[in-house]
Amino acid sequence: MNWVQLLVLGLLLGSVYAMMASGLTLLFGVMRVVNLAHAAFILIASYITYLLFENLTLDPIVSLVITMPLMFGLGVIIYLVLFPRIEGSARYVEMTVLLTFGLALVVEGLLTFVFTGTFRSVRPDYVSTSIHVGDIFIPSNQLYASAVSFALLIGLWVLLRFTKTGTAIRATMQNRGAAQIVGVNVRRISAFAFGTGMALAGAAGSLLSFLFPFFPGKHWQWIALLLSLIVLGGMGSIKGAVIGALLLAIASAVVTDTFGPTWSPITFYLTLFLILLVRPQGLFGAKLRL
Amino acid sequence: MALLEIEDVVAGYGAGPDILTGVTLSIDEGTSYCIVGPNGAGKSTLLRTIAGILKPRAGEVRLDGTRMNGSRPDQMLAAGVCFVPQDASLFPTMTVRENLVMGGYLLGDRVLKRQRLEMVFETFPALADRKSQNAGTLSGGEQQMVTLGRSLMVEPKVVMIDEPSLGLAPMIADQIFEKIGGFRELGITVVLVEQNAVKGLESVDWGFVLDLGSKEFEGPADGILADPRIRELYLGKQLAPRERR
Repeated sequence: MNWVQLLVLGLLLGSVYAMMASGLTLLFGVMRVVNLAHAAFILIASYITYLLFENLTLDPIVSLVITMPLMFGLGVIIYLVLFPRIEGSARYVEMTVLLTFGLALVVEGLLTFVFTGTFRSVRPDYVSTSIHVGDIFIPSNQLYASAVSFALLIGLWVLLRFTKTGTAIRATMQNRGAAQIVGVNVRRISAFAFGTGMALAGAAGSLLSFLFPFFPGKHWQWIALLLSLIVLGGMGSIKGAVIGALLLAIASAVVTDTFGPTWSPITFYLTLFLILLVRPQGLFGAKLRL
Repeated sequence: MALLEIEDVVAGYGAGPDILTGVTLSIDEGTSYCIVGPNGAGKSTLLRTIAGILKPRAGEVRLDGTRMNGSRPDQMLAAGVCFVPQDASLFPTMTVRENLVMGGYLLGDRVLKRQRLEMVFETFPALADRKSQNAGTLSGGEQQMVTLGRSLMVEPKVVMIDEPSLGLAPMIADQIFEKIGGFRELGITVVLVEQNAVKGLESVDWGFVLDLGSKEFEGPADGILADPRIRELYLGKQLAPRERR
């Protein structure tokens, strides 16, 4: 396959990964929470999208207007119910890992109970069409998913850069104590950031539902990939997550083409190992003291 | 009526023991104060409790006669109590200007924010020269200036400053104390916590001596400095190296 084709495929998928990873890295940046349940929440949104499509033939892209607010609300509730209890703890980081790992198991169990372990997929018309530009082909579903992801990333950037809430989120990411001192209500900002990260997970779930088939245990595969993306970019750096996602998706496309799809997943972890050997803090991460 | 009243306040961290075992003190408008005492006396804990970062387990914090117990830090700040913590708590990858603007986070009015920013740059001319530099790249003294300048953005009634001279060279520390002295002319009541008891007491009107979580003594700052009994009992360890010189 020619290089331009590989680059296009890599960028299309990469922008979806970037959107997924930016939500996860946002949570880490604001709250120092490594949300191991992030991909499980993405799957919840995939199943909601599936239900809406099967029962109401609602287009999965349109279903974002339902999944995003729904997941935002779920995020705020989960944050307010679970996190204030462990916030002051000396073992906060360890507890968040266990807590979110537990959440992932609960979500997987519930999804298996309700939807069984069967593979599902959402198949609107554009799943089987593609656009040809010269000798480059662009699968329609990937193009749409990529465009939506790109728009959401711009939305996130505008939110963080130009709104008062966004400024408060960035301040909290840089120095939670200092943010509190200048009058940021850090609990409210954390709840909002958790909700925003979850809303992005909701969007990701709707988009992934028509890109890949899914089943309740699929989230382990996704979270492994997402974690490698945000570690590569530097934990808590949204810019890093986006660039890391694009790079790795392109690398994965090249490896798939050269060595076959079996080798695609290993690209992520191999690149991660190599980069961390040289830059332990990731591409754009600050050196962390946890 | 006193501006800020602390009555029998008990506080501690997490499930840990009481650090403050019942502190009572009162802060009048326009007077400056320094809280001194040995390590672990609860000086910083007291400021953090007043600032709302720590909830008092018992007792009362009153501002202008209103009970403030359980207020969040942002509510205390909005009420006019500003806290400057000891670690020069800045936003390292934001510029000096952005850090100062963050100090006015609670101000809704843009014009007011710009006026205050001008005022801060007048008070701290050194910061005006560095306004486009990232705060993380400044020296310790300059970072302390930014946190002090940032506290002026909300025109607070009381500024509580925790260990402003920590980790600074003596000459730089003197400059910081001089700036803090200037706060009084702006009509701000200063409450200082200082490990360097002599420096701290020299720059204020009134001193509190804190030990083992409660107030042991209070009086005019120069009186405390002159009292050999207090010096020996509570300030002895800190004064020794200086006197030997």
